[in-house]
Amino acid sequence: MDELLLNSLSVSKGVLILTSVLILARCLRSLLSERYEAEVWAWLQLGKDKLPVTHWENLLGRSRGADIRVDRDRVSRVHAVLLRGRRGVWTVYDVFSKGGVWVNGAKIGPDGAEVKNGDVINLGGTPLRFTDLTAEKQRQLEKKRTVAGKRVSPLLTLLMLSVFQLFLLLQHMLTGGEYLTQIALAFAALVALEWFCFSSMRLLGRSGFEVETIAFYLSTLGMSVAASSVPGDLYKQILLSVAGVALFLLMGWWLRSLRRITALRGFAAVAALGLLAVNVVFSEEVLGARNWLSLGSWSFQPSEFVKVLYLYVGASTLDRLYRRRNLFVFMAFSAVCVIALALIGDFGTALVFFVCFLVISFLRSGSIATVLLAVTGAGMAGVLAASVKPHIAQRFASWGHAWADIYGPGGYQQARAMSAAAAGGLFGKGAGAGWLKDIVAADTDMVFAVVCEEQGLIVALCMVLAVLALAFFAVRSARYGRSAWYAIAACGAMAMLLTQTALNVFGAMDLLPFTGVTFPFVSRGGSSLLSCWMLMAFLKGSDTRKDASFVVSPVRLPEERGAKA
Amino acid sequence: MKKITNRAVSLLLIAALIIVGLVAYTLRYLDDGKDWALAFARQNSGSSGTMTERNGLLLAAFDPSGTRYAEDAAVRTACYAVTGDFLGRSGTGALSRLWQELYGFSPLTGTTHASDNELRLTVDALLCRTAYEALGGRKGAVMLMDYRSGEVLCMVSSPAVDPLFEGEPPEGAYLNRCLSSSFTPGSVFKLVTAAAAIETVPDMDSRSFYCEGDVEIAGVKITCSGEHDTQSFEESMANSCNVAFAQIAIKVGQENMIDYARAYGFLDGHELDGIPSAAGKYPLDFIGDPELAWSGIGQSTDLVNPYAMLRFVAAVANGGVLAEPHLIAGRSGPYTRLVKENTAERLGAMMHYNVVSHYDGANAFPGLSLCAKTGTAELGDGSSHAWFVGYLLDGQHPYAFVVLVENGGGGLYAAGPVANTLLQAAVNK
Repeated sequence: MDELLLNSLSVSKGVLILTSVLILARCLRSLLSERYEAEVWAWLQLGKDKLPVTHWENLLGRSRGADIRVDRDRVSRVHAVLLRGRRGVWTVYDVFSKGGVWVNGAKIGPDGAEVKNGDVINLGGTPLRFTDLTAEKQRQLEKKRTVAGKRVSPLLTLLMLSVFQLFLLLQHMLTGGEYLTQIALAFAALVALEWFCFSSMRLLGRSGFEVETIAFYLSTLGMSVAASSVPGDLYKQILLSVAGVALFLLMGWWLRSLRRITALRGFAAVAALGLLAVNVVFSEEVLGARNWLSLGSWSFQPSEFVKVLYLYVGASTLDRLYRRRNLFVFMAFSAVCVIALALIGDFGTALVFFVCFLVISFLRSGSIATVLLAVTGAGMAGVLAASVKPHIAQRFASWGHAWADIYGPGGYQQARAMSAAAAGGLFGKGAGAGWLKDIVAADTDMVFAVVCEEQGLIVALCMVLAVLALAFFAVRSARYGRSAWYAIAACGAMAMLLTQTALNVFGAMDLLPFTGVTFPFVSRGGSSLLSCWMLMAFLKGSDTRKDASFVVSPVRLPEERGAKA
Repeated sequence: MKKITNRAVSLLLIAALIIVGLVAYTLRYLDDGKDWALAFARQNSGSSGTMTERNGLLLAAFDPSGTRYAEDAAVRTACYAVTGDFLGRSGTGALSRLWQELYGFSPLTGTTHASDNELRLTVDALLCRTAYEALGGRKGAVMLMDYRSGEVLCMVSSPAVDPLFEGEPPEGAYLNRCLSSSFTPGSVFKLVTAAAAIETVPDMDSRSFYCEGDVEIAGVKITCSGEHDTQSFEESMANSCNVAFAQIAIKVGQENMIDYARAYGFLDGHELDGIPSAAGKYPLDFIGDPELAWSGIGQSTDLVNPYAMLRFVAAVANGGVLAEPHLIAGRSGPYTRLVKENTAERLGAMMHYNVVSHYDGANAFPGLSLCAKTGTAELGDGSSHAWFVGYLLDGQHPYAFVVLVENGGGGLYAAGPVANTLLQAAVNK
């Protein structure tokens, strides 16, 4: 019997590692090697050249970075912005060009001018004839584009994920104790949820499922850690996963319309500041940080929701960027957020926001000077914070010396995390068979170590690489986004998740100071799980591969809309 | 759009940093993973294990309910240098250093579950007790090994402490003098000088040395323990004549002396199944003839670690080839040549002559075919360390040994009887 158990455990370990590597490799291959073909919305005729207009927001100018490059005399490097607005109406704006912009011979004012099929846009003397695509033409072009998921079948990847989940459950069954029913139900619920999600996407005619697969893969590891560490709490975890997916779908639907998005930006900013204000005033201190807010029996971390709102506000459309060329409002907003988080004592999250701020402000301004200035300022603020808050200073002092203080606050958790992680080797001890799970905060701050111990280093590395895969995807797909807003939001979201991952993993392993932020999807925590799912919606918004993302509305043309109405 | 999305590459910078971090972690894991894993393994793995000596006697054990040591308090104390304790108070104890053998840690599999797992050591607990008792409470170190197989049968450091003893232990009780300390060697170092002379000074055998009780070298007087008149190389060794060895050392020259001390392993630290030992010392800067003379006699600033001396003697005993010493049973090798075969034989013959002609071998070491050298290392405060090192010319009992009694007085009179007691017990088992 014992032999059988050991053999089953070994087999399940092998299967888990194999499926992990395969799932990751397939998602990476799918996200990175698929053909990304730009959508084409209109044409601009420049002399003999027919230039495709591939975004909703296009920069026209002499610059190499312009979307429509017009390399002629008297055209400014950044000259004009051509926008596709509501109902497919095109507008051109002059963005402080030297030569000015004319449409059909009339110089346009600061509010821009509408451009219709056949109109001539004149940039400082260079004429461009605008051709809006007919529905027929656009449909033809759309047919030529490759459908997402054609090269790497998302169905097969999801099947592998289900095998992964099955064998993980089997491991819990082999090693587990009294909570087997809960654990089985939790895994079953997760499988049901992912297949529900997948079939709904298929029904909607959407075929890109890599982002969701990775999110479910990470959620599975999170569920496993919870099953090891707090099996009594699993029902809550299931509910949160369902709620997370619901928010993901809701958020995705909301993000389909840029008009909706821009209409609510002001409200989102107020909501973010409001949440932080409430948090600063009413909150309880848990483990040195006052980042928890209780509502009856449920407590949540407002800062997690502020993350979503922050991105919502921080991302911007191209016209806004070029028509008001400053970052002051955004910087002030960011500073308030970071300072509020610092006041609460949640320095880890403050750092996550700060890195996200750097990425967004770099995306928006392209100015390394601004970034360096911000880093210097933040560095000085950090030193100040460390001198005021003793527990932060202490964390910095003990950083890198965890083994010198294995019974004290400087290294108690890190030393145990490293020890348990090493004990797991490459293949792990099996789900539920470790000892780290019983240490305080194992299921949040030390999840990397718990996964190392129970599933081995290979799966743990896959877990981190899965987050990196999402980031690679954000970088790649941002280029084809319809609006700068989607591109910035997707990159900002990944900046947050990458920073969280780095702080979580390297904090526990004593390569960075221990800050106690969560690992996306894996660390237990309701607010964190919900916010991660919402951030995934941002990521889906930038995916313009043909019929890939439910967040990106299918191409519908003015004529069609008109016919429907 | 392009202008903005080109900048998205900045995300890759963060991703690259994470990959650097993962690589750094993985490298650290490969390097230190063993130490990390074992730091909390015993308390947390729910496993059990026992550590036994060569005849199966229990030295220490643990299981989820707690820890145990040998039953006999005298064995516990005598074996403290070998075992250390579960609290890790001795940094060189097997309980601190060799648990990975119970867990079989490898970076590939992590810790393997230990249950009813036995780590058998090469030491003989009763022999350790005999040696410890022979030291009689004096400070000192005793080691005995099988020079053919490399098995260490006895490693004792005195004073030691019963691992169950709570309270203030005697000073230095947690220190393993065999591995962690180095001492002035005195005349046992003449073995090194002699070996260097055999190989670097031509016609050593035809040379003779005249001793009238002292000799002046560059205005500095080197004193001897007696007046040995005219003597051969062999006789000078048996007489342990300072006057002769002062001249021999000068003939060999400082550079050669340094080279041989290094080649024989007296300057570096070694390992005993991964437990590190302390390095020794020999003057490396130019010192001039008088000081060179003293250093060849084993005085000056010379320091020798007992384990390093044991390795040298064991190699000489084994025809110049060292069987790498082990503390964990079932291991053997590697075998490395430390001393040239001819040199080892010549040195062995001299050591045998020492015992037969000068140490009253028949009475002091009855029944033993012994090769040995004494050492009385003067410490400058009137006291001296007593050394007695050597080996048995006995195919049934191929034992090499080192006995050191700190501030014990004359080598033959203080350390010799300890060696005899130990060897008699080892041979008559």
